[in-house]
Amino acid sequence: MSNVPVDANALTHEDPPTNPFAAFLSYLIPGLGQIYQGRIGKGLLFFVCVYTLFFMGTYFGSGTAQIKTKASDDPIAYEEEVYTVTSNVYLPDTAEQNNPFNLPRVLANLYNRPQFAGQFWVGIAAWPAIWQYINYNRRQDHGDTFLADFQRTPNDKSLNALHTSGDKTLELAWVFTVIAGVLNVMVIYDALAGPAFPPGTDQDEATA
Amino acid sequence: MHTFLPNHNLYFVELPILIVLISLVYSATRFDEWRPILLEALRWGMRLVLFLFFIGFVLYILDRIT
Repeated sequence: MSNVPVDANALTHEDPPTNPFAAFLSYLIPGLGQIYQGRIGKGLLFFVCVYTLFFMGTYFGSGTAQIKTKASDDPIAYEEEVYTVTSNVYLPDTAEQNNPFNLPRVLANLYNRPQFAGQFWVGIAAWPAIWQYINYNRRQDHGDTFLADFQRTPNDKSLNALHTSGDKTLELAWVFTVIAGVLNVMVIYDALAGPAFPPGTDQDEATA
Repeated sequence: MHTFLPNHNLYFVELPILIVLISLVYSATRFDEWRPILLEALRWGMRLVLFLFFIGFVLYILDRIT
């Protein structure tokens, strides 16, 4: 028999069991794990908040710019070209251009565009970018017939056109999408292990 | 670029939305009941606003003295 003294508080406080399946559901769609656990209101709150941030950022990070350039054959005439960026959620394949630490290809691409490491955690909403990354063909102007250009790496001309024709909103927009992804990591943890302060915790003690 | 929100403004539209949503999600990961969630969200929202005002004030002072 062991005579190790037992802390009375340790007996009264039991951590709830972890729920990896709910965590996986919350990764897929923010709040889905909480809804699965019966915490429907909170799940809906997560769903609305995270997706509002993500899709608002996606919207502000997309756009069309019309640039007038001088026609090559006529010195007076102008040609108008239309450039479109469909989303700021994408992962370009730039490992060959820049890989200072000789990282594996995917890690080098994430090193060159770390935003996607945050955006990824929003779940299914960022999967088109993965599909586009896997199926990206530099020689083609557009993606496949299913997703077209959605979350496809835009070409440099389009990015330059939008950056020079608009304000800094385009650049700030990805912050929204990254924050949405990072917040969803906390949502996933909430589904996995419950809230930091379970019901019944003294709030003064919790917020002290 | 965007036609239906031509006058969207970082400080009066996008930033308040960002602060409200971040505060709500963070608070909801700390508590399970609505009252503590909303109180904690209010606290964190105020902390974020004060922090941003402080940063803005410091930048304003630096701008004035340089």
